[in-house]
Amino acid sequence: MAVKTEAAPYLEAFRPDASEPAWLADARRKALAAFGERGFPTRREEAWRFTSLRPLADKSFKPGRGKLELKSAALPNGVWFASMARTLAERPEIARRAINESDLAGGQPFASLNAALFGDGFVFALDEGVTLDDPMEIVHSAAEGSINLRNLIVLAPNSRATVVETYRGKGAYWTNTVTSVSVGASASLTHVKVQDEGSEAIHFGMVRATLAPLAAYRNFGLTLGANLSRQDVQVAHGDGSNADVSGAYLQRGDQDTTTAVVIDHAAPNATTHELFKGVLDDRAHGAFLGTIRVREGAQKTDAKQTSRALLLGDRASVDTKPELEILADDVKCAHGAAVGDLDPAMLFYLRARGIGENEARRMLIEAFVLDAIEAVEQPELRNHLASLVHDWLEAGR
Amino acid sequence: MLEIKNLHASVEGGREILKGVSLSVKPGEVHAIMGPNGSGKSTLAGILAGRPGYTITQGAVTYQGQDLLAMSPEDRARAGIFLAFQYPVEIPGVNNMYFLRMALNAIHRAKGEPELDAGQFLKTVRAKLKLLEIEDDLLQRAVNVGFSGGEKKRNEIFQMAMLEPRLAILDETDSGLDIDALRLVSNGINKLRAPDRSVVMITHYQRLLDYVAPDFVHVLSEGRIVRSGDKSLAAELEKTGYVGVGA
Repeated sequence: MAVKTEAAPYLEAFRPDASEPAWLADARRKALAAFGERGFPTRREEAWRFTSLRPLADKSFKPGRGKLELKSAALPNGVWFASMARTLAERPEIARRAINESDLAGGQPFASLNAALFGDGFVFALDEGVTLDDPMEIVHSAAEGSINLRNLIVLAPNSRATVVETYRGKGAYWTNTVTSVSVGASASLTHVKVQDEGSEAIHFGMVRATLAPLAAYRNFGLTLGANLSRQDVQVAHGDGSNADVSGAYLQRGDQDTTTAVVIDHAAPNATTHELFKGVLDDRAHGAFLGTIRVREGAQKTDAKQTSRALLLGDRASVDTKPELEILADDVKCAHGAAVGDLDPAMLFYLRARGIGENEARRMLIEAFVLDAIEAVEQPELRNHLASLVHDWLEAGR
Repeated sequence: MLEIKNLHASVEGGREILKGVSLSVKPGEVHAIMGPNGSGKSTLAGILAGRPGYTITQGAVTYQGQDLLAMSPEDRARAGIFLAFQYPVEIPGVNNMYFLRMALNAIHRAKGEPELDAGQFLKTVRAKLKLLEIEDDLLQRAVNVGFSGGEKKRNEIFQMAMLEPRLAILDETDSGLDIDALRLVSNGINKLRAPDRSVVMITHYQRLLDYVAPDFVHVLSEGRIVRSGDKSLAAELEKTGYVGVGA
């Protein structure tokens, strides 16, 4: 089997760990072989058309290690919240759910690489009927090398929780995360991710969520950091489930970020709401790819996707690609995309009241982004995200 | 206070709208500028407030001895100019109270006065609401979003009361108001009349002048002031129409 040149260093870095269970060792070997054969995706592939992997290909990252912190209020019975390493040692039956067939097939090369090389991650599992009001917080800090994190969130039926992931660091490193999410029947998960990586970093994140009937899943991503980043969110609906996948990306300098969302309506009666807001200054580039697939038989699907971007810099750019594939006939699907500058009439109105031009611009950008943050229900969490946006704007003064 | 001399202006890259407007406004005076649609009334208001999109081809405007046309819109507002918009702009996501506080503090800073804290600001808001006899239901919403036509105009007058300008330019503040709203807005304007505050009211109709008595009335037609007089000119207009006064 031929190994792609760019994949070779990662294959060579692989060191089997004899203490790991046989199923995991086996999965790692298969995933690594799949990645080796596949290599990095190229821009000839539709899903990677707008993402330049040059910053990644130019470097060869040695295995690195970050600091993973898990924080929560006192937890009741029926909750498992621990690192992946500890889960593998103590609750391997849960950890096993973090790996699936697609990791071994190589269709998503960075997910395969992640399966082969991951060292840690977090696992959050909730028993049936358990509801938690306070968020589970995961903070990862990195400094060097390539760091593969494998995360797992499993909510049993009728449970409810909130998970907030934050990624940050300093230096030239590559964080590659894969998070498997399973939301049980009538369970409800709010899943927030703040990507605030260091300015030289590369960050890839993939979320694969499976929703049981009547499950509710809210995913919100705030992308601020990294030099190159990509966030993939893939949701498979159940009968009558509800997904809100929204986010905001704020980039400046020569930052480049891609958000790729694929929503699969294979079951009927499910609803999807997507709202993405992008703010691109200087020479920054953003891309939004949003696919909504409505399969045959997925009647009464109700899906709405909106993507808007503000181009503040003369050399800033954005690519948007909405894609609806509809094979059922009784569905409601809508999408809209818009790219522009701040509204001159709004700007003048604020200035005519004495507010300085820069301040007025910041107020309007903030309002533009806060509109997407409205998707997050918890006020404290909304305030937290809003203050991060505010800080980002202040940093650009 | 305000001295407009032979002002010529055109829409950027377009036709000439103002063709030599001259006007002098002294402290405490209320001037009404009337005229048919397309006569240049709103262009004049926009130029005084610094709305982008116009080219000044001739003439000058001085405000309190300063070259007004060289000032940015925010500097004009900080120097005491207030434009009540004909079409107040909706700004989703920006809370009305937050917006007002930002504006008021920007003006205070420019004057070298201390900024108001949240408590002082709220106290001022309450006092002005009471003065204008308006409800505070508009304040928690986003700026002008979902406001009725009358609510938008009331909000403009409320902002004027909060910002306490030296020169208020009211651009068709009466348009689109029913009789009750017109009375409310007019009362607001009258309460804000002061010896050191000048008002320029731009209107198409005589009706506002029944409530807010002007010291001077000017008729603007095809970019020029063709007649000036006192309050009786408005009454004459009412009888003869713009054509009758040479407009």
